[in-house]
Amino acid sequence: MELDFSPVIAYAPTLLSGVGVTSLIALVVALFSVLGGLLVAVISVYTNKVVSWPIRFLIWLFMTTPLLLQLYFLYFGLGEWILIPALMVGVLGLGFHYMAYNADIFIATIRSVSAGQYEASRSLGFGHLRTLFYIIVPQAFIRSVPQIGNNLILMVKDTSVLSAIGVAELVYASQYAISVSFRPFEFFIVIAIVYYLLNLIMEFGQARFERMTADRR
Amino acid sequence: MTIETKTDTPMVEIVNVHKKFGDLEVLKGINLTVPKGKIVSIIGSSGSGKSTLLRSVNHLEVIDDGVIRLDGVQVNRPDMKGLAFERHINHIRQNMGMVFQHFNLFPHLSTLDNVTLAPRKLKGMARKEAEELGREYLNRVGLADKADVYPSRLSGGQKQRVAIARALAMQPKVMLFDEATSALDPELVEEVNLVMRDLAKEHMTMLIVTHEMAFARDVSDWAMFMEGGVVVEEGTPDKFFSNPDHERTRNFLRKHLSSQH
Repeated sequence: MELDFSPVIAYAPTLLSGVGVTSLIALVVALFSVLGGLLVAVISVYTNKVVSWPIRFLIWLFMTTPLLLQLYFLYFGLGEWILIPALMVGVLGLGFHYMAYNADIFIATIRSVSAGQYEASRSLGFGHLRTLFYIIVPQAFIRSVPQIGNNLILMVKDTSVLSAIGVAELVYASQYAISVSFRPFEFFIVIAIVYYLLNLIMEFGQARFERMTADRR
Repeated sequence: MTIETKTDTPMVEIVNVHKKFGDLEVLKGINLTVPKGKIVSIIGSSGSGKSTLLRSVNHLEVIDDGVIRLDGVQVNRPDMKGLAFERHINHIRQNMGMVFQHFNLFPHLSTLDNVTLAPRKLKGMARKEAEELGREYLNRVGLADKADVYPSRLSGGQKQRVAIARALAMQPKVMLFDEATSALDPELVEEVNLVMRDLAKEHMTMLIVTHEMAFARDVSDWAMFMEGGVVVEEGTPDKFFSNPDHERTRNFLRKHLSSQH
């Protein structure tokens, strides 16, 4: 079988817009899931069981059911009641899914910051919330970066699942081109390379952050 | 107890303080008055309640009964609840420097930022002004050249000196030392002791929990021996260390003086 990449070039604009949508989703979901995960983790660690147990249950629920199923629930389930654009459903679904994974990690790293850090901050006169903000959360964040980075790399790849609900990201964008050109392999190879490159950027950023904070542990 | 003094309000007053951990009573009615500018050493074996007492002064341990005052202001306020108490204790703590056995420097901040964080965020000091102040205090503990280094790069002795500078930068009325040299290698103890001696010369009021008998004898105005949650004996260091009244004090001192070189 001979490879012929000319259809890929012909459909480059379609693919590029797919790359754009994928990148945009990845960026928004990254911010949403990291900041949201941090907030959820702080609330879960520092509140009583009445608040923290339901949160832990939701995290567990998001982590033990398939992303695709969660998206279907959001898209078709909520679609019974209100009309939400697929892109919005996709960003929210992927966002909550990875927020759960990130929160799970932040909970562990927040707990790993020693009680002495909390006491030292309080003894200087910082209140509870300021101690969390200036002392506990930054340290937990630095410790979380390797695992959060792994989650985000998985997340970038999982943006492709949004094609199932019709979000015009990279995989979805290529499907039309494949159906008319009958050259699936060429498209799949190029798409794989694009995901690889996107994750290369992610890994680069993660490695840089880890180098920057190497002394601060 | 009374230490002879001419000043009016004592800096720290501990009156009939009781504290229980579950069923275990660790403080059984402790009284202590620390006049301004005086240094009191508290000694005793582990489990005697000496660290708990010191931590109670800063409200890191919540006492069950009794009164603790700083410069005439009551620290523990069982009558206050929630946010009102939080504001009260935060304000009180800004006037008390605490130094811990395990340093507890903030690893994510540079040495200088460790020292300047509280003055900047709690006193609203501008960064430039706070950094000048911070460098001054780092200089006082002999670490001016380590301002931009992170704690992970410092030795134990250097870490503890930065921790002292961090506490001093808030210009506290009293310094509390909770076994400040116990976690250090023997050769690093002296550099921390030197800093504490300097503070003594400047008449900083200090409450020191320590295992270093020679240092306590040298630096203190008053020494106190605790065992099983009570004060067994207290007195001037001369009397206390050379001719204690109680057999238990003698036993403790014998063990600890002989174990030191």
